[in-house]
Amino acid sequence: MKKFLATLLALVMVLSLAACGGDKGGDTTPPADSGNTGTTAPPADSGSGEKTAIKVIAAEYGQNTKQWWADFVTDFNSSHDNIDLTVEAVSWNDIYTVVNTRVANNDAPDILNIDVFADYVADDLLLPIQDCVSDETYAKFYDAFLEQSNIDGTIWAIPDLASARAMYYNKGILEAAGVEVPTTWDELKAACEKIKAYDSSIYPWGIDMTTDEGQAAFAYYIWNNGSDFTDASGNWTLDADANVEAIEYAIGLVKDGYTNSDPANETRYALQDLFGAGKLAMMIGPNSIPTYIADNYAKANTPAEEQIDYAFAAIPTNGSNPSVSAGVMDRFMVFDNGHSDEKIEAIKEFFDFFYEDERYSDWVLMEGFLPATSAGGEIVAAADPSMAPWVEIVGSCKFYPTAKAEWADVKQGVINVEQQALLGGNVKELLEDLQAQIAG
Amino acid sequence: MSQPANAVKKPVSIKKGILRLLLYFVVLDVCVITLYPYFAMLCTALKNRVEIFSGGTILPIVPLWSNFIDIWSRAPMAKYMLNSVLIAGGSTIIAMLCGIPAAYALARMKFKGQTAFLGFVIVSQMFAPVVLLIGIYQVMQKLGLTDNILGLIFINAAFNQAFTIWLLRGTFMGISAEMEQAATIDGCTRVQSMMKVLLPVAAPGIVTTLIFIFINAWNEYTVALCLISTDTFKPLTVGINTFNGYNMIEWQYLFAASIFAIIPVVILFMCIEKNLVSGLASGGVKG
Amino acid sequence: MSTKTPSAPAEAQELAKKVPRLSGSKKLFRKVEPYIWIAPSIILMAIFIVTPIVKVFQLSMSKVTRAGLVKGYNNFENFTNVLKSPAFSLVLKNTIVWTIAVVVISTVLGFMLALVLNNKFRGRKVARAIVVFPWATTLVIQASAWNFIINKDYGTLNTLLMKIGLISAPVNWTPTPGAYFAWEIACGIFVTIPFVTFCVLSGLQSIDASYYEAATVDGAGYFQKLFSITLPLVKSSLTVATVLNIIYVFNSFPIIWTMTKGDPANHTDTLVTYLYKLAFYNGKQGEASAVSVIGFLILLVCASVYMIYTLRKGDDDL
Repeated sequence: MKKFLATLLALVMVLSLAACGGDKGGDTTPPADSGNTGTTAPPADSGSGEKTAIKVIAAEYGQNTKQWWADFVTDFNSSHDNIDLTVEAVSWNDIYTVVNTRVANNDAPDILNIDVFADYVADDLLLPIQDCVSDETYAKFYDAFLEQSNIDGTIWAIPDLASARAMYYNKGILEAAGVEVPTTWDELKAACEKIKAYDSSIYPWGIDMTTDEGQAAFAYYIWNNGSDFTDASGNWTLDADANVEAIEYAIGLVKDGYTNSDPANETRYALQDLFGAGKLAMMIGPNSIPTYIADNYAKANTPAEEQIDYAFAAIPTNGSNPSVSAGVMDRFMVFDNGHSDEKIEAIKEFFDFFYEDERYSDWVLMEGFLPATSAGGEIVAAADPSMAPWVEIVGSCKFYPTAKAEWADVKQGVINVEQQALLGGNVKELLEDLQAQIAG
Repeated sequence: MSQPANAVKKPVSIKKGILRLLLYFVVLDVCVITLYPYFAMLCTALKNRVEIFSGGTILPIVPLWSNFIDIWSRAPMAKYMLNSVLIAGGSTIIAMLCGIPAAYALARMKFKGQTAFLGFVIVSQMFAPVVLLIGIYQVMQKLGLTDNILGLIFINAAFNQAFTIWLLRGTFMGISAEMEQAATIDGCTRVQSMMKVLLPVAAPGIVTTLIFIFINAWNEYTVALCLISTDTFKPLTVGINTFNGYNMIEWQYLFAASIFAIIPVVILFMCIEKNLVSGLASGGVKG
Repeated sequence: MSTKTPSAPAEAQELAKKVPRLSGSKKLFRKVEPYIWIAPSIILMAIFIVTPIVKVFQLSMSKVTRAGLVKGYNNFENFTNVLKSPAFSLVLKNTIVWTIAVVVISTVLGFMLALVLNNKFRGRKVARAIVVFPWATTLVIQASAWNFIINKDYGTLNTLLMKIGLISAPVNWTPTPGAYFAWEIACGIFVTIPFVTFCVLSGLQSIDASYYEAATVDGAGYFQKLFSITLPLVKSSLTVATVLNIIYVFNSFPIIWTMTKGDPANHTDTLVTYLYKLAFYNGKQGEASAVSVIGFLILLVCASVYMIYTLRKGDDDL
């Protein structure tokens, strides 16, 4: 008994020693290794001999993002002696939690890379982006992209990349089922029916109505029914008849058994995996799908005969409406943390460095996205011919109304409407309720 | 050891045999069900992505052991693991250092506000850390403990106080105070009598408490997620999420890394379990 | 603060050692002594739990912008907004179902498992180690694993059953939100059982074997011994385990978040996942804080009932 206790006590002591030793490594105070912990040090910008610290929080787009930023920071800091840049790449699952917690505690990053920005503008947290970007860099962006970040005549953010959506289809399945590539909703429904008759274990059509990205499904169907979230003057028109019709059509596909079994829980990523495994015939997805599928096959050493043969086409529309591709754009924004002039200069240098054409196209290609600058577009199109049609598409696609302050509520609202409808709710009533709640 | 099921020592061998069989049957079932998710995880960890999503196989066609090696280069797994050990070990020590005296006072002394204190301990647990994230972050910021392992150690220790105090109080109260009183008469101080007489007898309860805190701290996720921003300070739970990215869940890596996260806890438990049994055999029962 | 807290117990012990020798102040010391013993614990909880709780109460009564800035008090508007929301009653019902189902079933099964594992048999050590597995696994991982297992398209459960020949085509295990919720509850039970089992086991181990011997001599049967000796003696560890379990399960977050995020349309949400979505997806931190205060009040009522019942008795024993 005594022996056991002695062992236990010894263990506790060893552990406590280990903990003390380890804590020092994690502590912010010892100067010896504070290089690691620069992120938590109080902003010491204006000091004369001090380095200017810039804190960046960036979204983690995929498996390569973290490494890309790590290399970027090394390159940047070694060529800018007076600046101490730290970049924290946070996964999309967690980024809102992390950013909101920091903002609520007056610990906002200097630069943030995320999708939303209107909320921060509403709270006067941001600096107009033109004050923080050099003129040469600012001139590089497509005007249409900058307009997406316009609130009351001020541009608050610059795009870091974009992606566009199209319909992907499995050529093998469509051929075997004797189906032409559908271009209208009627053709799509007929195609689903034939595919299902051909092999009931294959899902003809993929739909994602999850909390993750259900708003995308909403956009695909209403935009391709000639409708929109708002009217021309920017008033919300969520319960427009064309919207009701569009969502009823989408829900109808689910109810008829033409889609994946659980649209409320199966995210786009789950659909992409089903598509890559040949279990899903058609889905709407981003331009990054080919990179994604090729990566998987390469990692798995999948023999060529087991790989799926697929292509992409315009998203089917209702009748003669023009097909609309959905664009998604993410942004950089600068928080107003009372920056000194040196700091603003440092931030400008950060953006100049990031948007250098070579580095920028490398950033975009890293995870298979689309560029938001014209020079970047040319380089990307030249580097990868398969991207060329996408660079065309992204110039003309529609974007979510993210500049409107109610967008966050609308986004959650339409997802809720979709999920309620999946459970048997009346689409018209649900959308009317939402409209009343948003506009009222 | 008390053995209610076979305390009867008479040779009722057939009945005993059937009971034995039944016992093994139940234990085997429980083990199989418990292990099934881990079996599935292991098999998945050894497959490639395409095979995973094609379904149809239980065992991997060709075990891809490289997945287990890949994760070490894709994320600083060793660092994550060390951080988890420090956080869980540190939390356990602090929780015990604060909890043992409190439980002792509750079990052996009478003072005003005793019930209130016990109530306070329980009430303090009624908010999940998830709920308190914003407040916790603010406290940590004031103390300069954001992005710091020490901060997580304190949080985990604090959120485990209720269990520590309640369980140890119960354990201490279950042990007769006579021996300690005798020791005090022999000239021991309270601290000495607690250390020399009570704690050795209470070892099983203490060990259970230790395991509990360690496991809880090892598994904590949400607070660590919000407080730690530097990759090299992350514990395993948060670090593993690297494989749960924007574009895809890398099931094979996620599960391979998870298996590494489970192993230390199981080993730890097996060590303590051995001590627990021997400790009981030598002293616990007699006490 | 960071350096003070860990050394506080040491100070307390130092004090405890020294002071008794000062015979003059002995009486005063007797009065103060217990508070010195509980001080470290109180300091630890005051800083790291009570302060954040105060903050949550403040937020629940304040207007908080989407980006998280506090803009003054707003007259319990957060509470009325929450209570008015049609989702809230559904979420509340889910929370109650979730808590009761997980706690009751895991307590019963865990208790039974503890009785089984308290027997001496070959391989007991291995069995005990295996039982601790679900507890030793991070909930996020455990939930991911279950989500993977029950997936209709590539889940291992369907594959396994098809290989055995029990089913011929993949079964959709989660056709309705209710079915999904049931799986989440099953997962909750799965991870909670080890906790109960080990609490009960630690209680069983401190029971003196002589009680059973005496009872056997008196001719008591297995169940008689179970109800008249075992149950009363493990009652204290079992009640503590149950109360803590109610709190932990009520506040449990990772399982539901990983498996369904409360979808579809709040049908699998509990208060905790609901308020997390409110705070970090919908940007309504004020309302989220209000939900957590409501959850706190519910737990407080339950625990008070328990404490009035048990602690009164405990005080009599002292």
